[in-house]
Amino acid sequence: MLKKIFRYRRSGVPGLVFLVCLSIAFAPSLTAQTAGMGALTGRVIDASGNAVANTTVTATSVDNGQVRSATTATDGSYSFDGLSGGNYRLKFEASGFKTLEIPSAIVNGTETAVLDEKLDAGEPITAKPTPVSQGNLPNAPSSSTKAPSLQDLGFPAEQSQGNAREQALLDRRTHMLKIHQRMGLITTIPLIATVATSLSAGGKNTSTASRDLHTALGGVTGDLYFITAYYAIRAPRVPGTETRGPIRFHKAMAWIHGPGMIMTPILGIMAFDEKSKGEKVHGIASAHGPVAIVTAGAFGAALLSVSVKF
Amino acid sequence: MKKNVLMAFALLALHTLAIADSQWVLEQCTLAYHVSHPLHQTDGVSHAARGKGACHAGECDFLIAVPVKSFDSGDSNRDLHMLQVTRGAEFPMVVVRTHLPESAATSATINADLEIQFAGQTAQYKQIAFKLVTQSGETHITGTIPATLSDFKIDPPSLLTMRVKNEIPVRVDMTWHPQ
Repeated sequence: MLKKIFRYRRSGVPGLVFLVCLSIAFAPSLTAQTAGMGALTGRVIDASGNAVANTTVTATSVDNGQVRSATTATDGSYSFDGLSGGNYRLKFEASGFKTLEIPSAIVNGTETAVLDEKLDAGEPITAKPTPVSQGNLPNAPSSSTKAPSLQDLGFPAEQSQGNAREQALLDRRTHMLKIHQRMGLITTIPLIATVATSLSAGGKNTSTASRDLHTALGGVTGDLYFITAYYAIRAPRVPGTETRGPIRFHKAMAWIHGPGMIMTPILGIMAFDEKSKGEKVHGIASAHGPVAIVTAGAFGAALLSVSVKF
Repeated sequence: MKKNVLMAFALLALHTLAIADSQWVLEQCTLAYHVSHPLHQTDGVSHAARGKGACHAGECDFLIAVPVKSFDSGDSNRDLHMLQVTRGAEFPMVVVRTHLPESAATSATINADLEIQFAGQTAQYKQIAFKLVTQSGETHITGTIPATLSDFKIDPPSLLTMRVKNEIPVRVDMTWHPQ
């Protein structure tokens, strides 16, 4: 940009040409003072390479409007210390010379840049300033008709146009899966209690009361479980979505805890009957405990797979 | 006299070159948002952004757009929830606009004001710092946009009754090519 500004100057009247060489040594000069603070130094010379003393250099922050000014020394150098990081507009004014404006110079505490330029000046060296007509955003998006539009980027219509029906589908899906999630968490409570009471329900010295409690908790767990499952099964599918990530494991676990939640109470009823008759639990009913443990384990794994990142 | 006329034409040509229109094209782009939850740290990445810059008289307008659907966190279920919560089906594109002086391309850093349209809302971010590295005619830009859910009026989703953090910084890694 600066080069362009400087080239622009060459189009002026040759007889009035004078050369201003502006050396803005950003990097060596942008020394961090404190975190977020910087410095700006440079040197102003004329066409012959001689230093231009007493040039007024004004730095205006385009971020907050803060104005700082300095005057060049006999060697043409100037310096700003303790500038807050950001974008600055610089103006150079010297008697007998045309005014030079630099619309944008970045100052920060870590980065450096060196700009050594020579230019012929035949008319005011005024670069087009950063647009200021866009509210409080100094380089905010313009409303220029030249600005590229979304159509220029070539996205297919199905990708760039909104679809209210798909959004409604997603909303319904999320609504149902939120209920699924909450019900799953609620189900965990009676599930743990059922497993805990199994210790006193299946041993040799068990009471009818403890078996009844275990059975009741198992029943509540089963009911809540099937309500939980309903919301997952009935949640609408989103076409064209490939299942990836932990949700695959979560769904795979359902093939274990789903049948397990059907088998466990059936086997439990058989075991309960045998126990109530004073018999030792035997045959297929003896699988009640192991099936219940595997089912509870698969349920817990499914819950953790979507809750905690492994 | 002839010499003076020729010189005048030459200077005029230089002037014209100096303010000539030019364009930039986004060649490669990686955008990644980060969501923080007490039990999860998630990054959703997209490589599907497209962008263009149009420069006129030393001022450039840039436009970058990316489909919301293109962000991949590695979990299809989470991505669908993200799509729902950000109303990504209704407002399928994230659109970023900025306006910079052409001279910014020669800087080591730029501080850009961004206008971001997302989830049916428009948010403006002032003076976002980006690092620039120009090599072989291409400009590589990196930075982080300090976006938040509340900027776009998005209700923070929750998992196990715990909400995600409001901050969703977006890392930007772009390569621009002049046309």
